[in-house]
Amino acid sequence: MAVRYAISIDLDRCIGCQACAVACQTGNELPAGDSFITVSDTVQSRGGGLWGSFVHHRCFHCDAAACVTVCPTGALAKQNGLTVIEPEKCTACGYCTDACPFDVPHIRDNRVSKCTACLGARGRIVPVPDARAGLLLRDGQEPWCVETCPSQALRFGERERLLAEAKSRVAALRSRYPNAAVYGETPLGGLGLLMILLDRPDAYGLPAKPVVPSTLTVWQDVVQPAASGLSALAAAAMGLMFIVARRQHAREKAEIAEETPVGGQDHE
Amino acid sequence: MSSESPRLVQRYLRAQRFIHWIGVASFLTLLFSGIALLFPPLSFLAAGGLSRLMHQIAAIPFVALPLVYAVLLPRQTKELLIESFTYAREDWEWFKHMPAYMLGRTRGLPPQGRLNAGQKLHHAGTFLMFGTVAVSGFVLWVGKGRLGANGLACTAMVHDLAMLGLSVLMIGHVYFTFLYDAFSAMRTGFVTEEYARMEHAKWLAALPSEGFAFAPDASKSAEGSEGDTKSAAE
Repeated sequence: MAVRYAISIDLDRCIGCQACAVACQTGNELPAGDSFITVSDTVQSRGGGLWGSFVHHRCFHCDAAACVTVCPTGALAKQNGLTVIEPEKCTACGYCTDACPFDVPHIRDNRVSKCTACLGARGRIVPVPDARAGLLLRDGQEPWCVETCPSQALRFGERERLLAEAKSRVAALRSRYPNAAVYGETPLGGLGLLMILLDRPDAYGLPAKPVVPSTLTVWQDVVQPAASGLSALAAAAMGLMFIVARRQHAREKAEIAEETPVGGQDHE
Repeated sequence: MSSESPRLVQRYLRAQRFIHWIGVASFLTLLFSGIALLFPPLSFLAAGGLSRLMHQIAAIPFVALPLVYAVLLPRQTKELLIESFTYAREDWEWFKHMPAYMLGRTRGLPPQGRLNAGQKLHHAGTFLMFGTVAVSGFVLWVGKGRLGANGLACTAMVHDLAMLGLSVLMIGHVYFTFLYDAFSAMRTGFVTEEYARMEHAKWLAALPSEGFAFAPDASKSAEGSEGDTKSAAE
């Protein structure tokens, strides 16, 4: 099995500086108004005091990604645990924008637009020896956001290693933040973006248990094949039946012709 | 088949046939541009948005057709709707003979009116599926990005299944057309008297005598003239 890579975000280290968002936008040459990363903040009243944190909204690179499930052309695909895009395949049908449980993909200039962990246009990871991450991406570097983060809140690498690191971070953080947890270890086949949260997911507006509704699977795996399969079957069955029926019909017409006296063709 | 009657009976007006063929073109465009999203080996057709554009362009005449039909031919529209949803005893009788009819036998069929019971059922099914496919298609088009995963899946399933229904109806429609040599009804507007007697005896009997039988040169058969439209299709 191919190695699974991931990005991790440590919200204890994040200083909310927006450097990742800006680096992403510039590095990926996104047109004005488009972005793959937004960093906002949330402030809530907690037991007489205030509690605040930064909130990152960006692709979670779900392993069982709903966007990939519904994409009819394969423009969205999984590669090494990341959800990549082949933009030239995109038909802008918009299914992914509805299917994503995190409301991430969007259509920009008739193409799907979202984080691809800075993999190239063809979405190919080029593994080269690297002490830090175990692989390199575009031009032998890490994703723009990871590379730019000034507080080491963002990391990129093999998912297993990042997950282990995140867990030990959480263990250390628990004394200060009893609700601290790694978000994304198991849901949806395991997320390719691991977040170290300092509180429960809902404090960040994240679903505690993100799910892909089963209707989506039924649609893709049952209704779609049934619709095209049964149509094809009906056409094939009718085609075969036609041969038999045509013969019978010819025979019947001959019978009628024999029974009808010549010249007896008049109406009524 | 020397007994083939040269006499022809008009079944459809020029306007009806025109609308029918616009319907065929838009339906097939919609079907195949839609299949491009269902059938992975065809997905290259969808890449770049070409099939999506075709789907959206074809959807407009497809949905507009019944409205155009109703405006141009209000009487026929009303008649068609009423006939399609009214089933008399001979229709039920007809359904009993349907298996044999599907295999090419018309013997024992109760005499049928302008539409036989199978055609009625076909039209009724088409109306219902048409409404379903048009409404769900409109929701998918306008609601893009606002439906949520569940809404998308449910609407798309309704759309897919209605289209399955329409496709099966179309396959049956084409099947019977060619099995009983009825194609000329939509090509020239006329059918042979022999066909009309086998399949629509009651309708044939009820036709006004000056209108029912149009007898062009027998050698030209059903190909030639359009005929004037005052005749039998009504």
